[in-house]
Amino acid sequence: MKNFFNINKFAVIVYWAIFLALAGMFFTNDFGLVDIHKSSIITAIGIDNEGEEVKVTAEIAMPQPSQSGENIRYAQVQGSGLTIADALNEINSKTGFYTKLQFCRLILIGENCRDNQLFRVLGCLYRKNYSELTALVAMCEGKAADMLANKSQVSDMTSEAIRKILSDEIEKSGNANTANLKDIALAEFSHSRSCFMPFVQISKPGTSEEGGDGDNVGGDPVEGGQGESGGQGESGGQSGGGGSGGQGQSEGQSGQSGQSSQGGNQQGQPVEFTARKTVYFSNGLYKGILDEQQSFALAMFKSNIRLAILPCDSGDIHYTIGLRNVEGDVGVKVENGVPKISFSFSATAQIQGARVKVDPSATNKDDNVDDKVLRGAEEELKKRFESLFSVCKESNCDILGLKEYLYKHDYNNYGLVEKDFYSVAETHYKIDVRSVH
Amino acid sequence: MKISSRQICFIMIAYTAATKLLMYPTLLSMASGNDLLFSALIDFVIGTAVIWSISFLCSRTDKTFFELIKGTLGEVTARIVFGFFAAFFLLSTLLPIFEQVGYIHNIFYDTVPSLGVFLPFFVFTVYAATKKFTNIGRCADICLPIFAASISFIFITAFSDVRWDNLMPVLKTPVFDIFRGAANTAYAFVEPCWLLMFMGHFKYKKGDVTKITLSYALGAATVLLFLAMFYGIYGAVAPSRTYAIARTSLFFPAIEVIGRMDLIVLFVFEIVMLFALVLNIQLAVYTLVKCTGYENRMLLSFLVNGALLAITIFCNSFYNNINELFYNWMWIMYIVFVVALPVIAWLFKRRTA
Repeated sequence: MKNFFNINKFAVIVYWAIFLALAGMFFTNDFGLVDIHKSSIITAIGIDNEGEEVKVTAEIAMPQPSQSGENIRYAQVQGSGLTIADALNEINSKTGFYTKLQFCRLILIGENCRDNQLFRVLGCLYRKNYSELTALVAMCEGKAADMLANKSQVSDMTSEAIRKILSDEIEKSGNANTANLKDIALAEFSHSRSCFMPFVQISKPGTSEEGGDGDNVGGDPVEGGQGESGGQGESGGQSGGGGSGGQGQSEGQSGQSGQSSQGGNQQGQPVEFTARKTVYFSNGLYKGILDEQQSFALAMFKSNIRLAILPCDSGDIHYTIGLRNVEGDVGVKVENGVPKISFSFSATAQIQGARVKVDPSATNKDDNVDDKVLRGAEEELKKRFESLFSVCKESNCDILGLKEYLYKHDYNNYGLVEKDFYSVAETHYKIDVRSVH
Repeated sequence: MKISSRQICFIMIAYTAATKLLMYPTLLSMASGNDLLFSALIDFVIGTAVIWSISFLCSRTDKTFFELIKGTLGEVTARIVFGFFAAFFLLSTLLPIFEQVGYIHNIFYDTVPSLGVFLPFFVFTVYAATKKFTNIGRCADICLPIFAASISFIFITAFSDVRWDNLMPVLKTPVFDIFRGAANTAYAFVEPCWLLMFMGHFKYKKGDVTKITLSYALGAATVLLFLAMFYGIYGAVAPSRTYAIARTSLFFPAIEVIGRMDLIVLFVFEIVMLFALVLNIQLAVYTLVKCTGYENRMLLSFLVNGALLAITIFCNSFYNNINELFYNWMWIMYIVFVVALPVIAWLFKRRTA
């Protein structure tokens, strides 16, 4: 009996007990185990504006038990409220999972949010601990709910199909100007007070838009979809409007509890996504959309380009040029009270295609590009850069981030030129496209 | 001797950094914006000077700090001073504990965990606080390699997304704001007091002054680099990004593909943060032992941890108020305990008559 109370023995027992208890808590998530098959994870959200309210459509992934590898079902669930948090709370009540958006990789903003302050719409996502700022952000044609309800040919998960067109690889080719939550906040809360994000559109699969001098990507508009009807397609899940703080009752029209299993275009046909246009904002307000050529020009200065494809003309022949080793830089300095903006661009070029009959014996000389073709490429680039700058000037929207550049690098002169920056700025272009060999 | 100068160096490197990577970068960026490095530099320069001063004092006497006071002002005064130090160490533990609660709840859980999730921490601290300086030294031996490996990973993964020009223009924040930032976050700088307590408990060897001071400077450099990277990544959004250490690796391309593998490193780094936090509690118990003369460390450990547990439970909802209190007023205690007392220690009799 005396030995039983031996302090050393007792201590060992106590510490083993504590160790086992802590191990038990660790492996059971503190007795709060979540069965992955009974949970749902938000992978993307779409935000639409309806009057005073925001309607949030969440694409949720629901892992299913399966004996043959991974099996995940996807569905859309909607919630609404005065803030995104209200709407997410409603989604939470429908899905039974705490909606912290840790796994949300895409935030789609419907075109109907144009009239709202961007950072009022997205404000909730910047509040601490709600979500990481890694999620990609894009505006889409029509309603975000409809966009997420579309079916894709390339993936079962619509958001994944959209993320493919916003991938790093796409960005490295200058075909999209991607942005995540952090990027747009950094740009907006800088001294430029302007930000941009890609504009997602859909088109009929297997079709391609004609014209555009080889630059248009996309296809025929989808019948009943956003492209044609301006976002009249109705997604399945409906969330009750009205009620402050997301108190509205859900009245799911299809599926249970407001879950949407169809929507997007009226036929439910698969669609193709593109994001070659770019939406830009100033002071958080929508300003306009850059076309493909302007977006390309923006990408040359904002992205780390590996290979960009540039259509250009030289004489009567149309060439498709591949640009490598791209170094685009736009800077500004103040001379005599006038901001002087210098666009400098250099790249090496090789011929990717030409509208002439191919001579197999000469294709090995594609890396040796004729001077005339190089000058044609330079002219095309200059045209695009000028077009981009004219947009900045007309809208007084500093998407190039020049004011912020000036603030950081020439603080003393920043205050002098900040107000009339674009109206008095002078531009200088230095474009150097060289042959690979 | 109970602790070696090598172990003190390890503490200065690892614990100095580990205690400043949660809320400190966020609060500092809120106060000083892109000039946060200068605010931090002010505190670190003062800290380095005090650390040098104390370690130099260690080269001049074998006495402990308690014996120094006792030899000059008498035992009662020494006990009173150590009583105040016990309170200071307890207070210095308070905010970091709340930060740890928030960190664990927000970063390691996708759901909303209860406060109970954190409470096993006190089981560990009750045990750890009974241990003496030998144990503190051994923990430092274990923590340094863990710290070096995990902080390297954090730096490497954060590096790709840092935009260094976010730190520009330099020194355009009003000077008052820079000093206010330094004062408001001074509560995180307890290291000189650690060294003060280690005084007389390690065998001074030639060159230890330089080694200890440089170790502290290395810890400071680690924090400064982290601050630069944190602000370089988040810029104007930095004040909204709490628990900074968990936010810097998020934009690493591999994490996008593989998932939050950085959480493994954060779990490992948590060990170092835990030991750094426990050090204050251990020193609170040590100073209480000296103050009361009562050697039963287990009982004192229960008392100290019981008080901390009670405050954690009852004040859990008042984190913001406590934070504000520390943020606005703790610099006074910093001046008294971290700057003034170590300097005053030079006035005490260093040799026994």
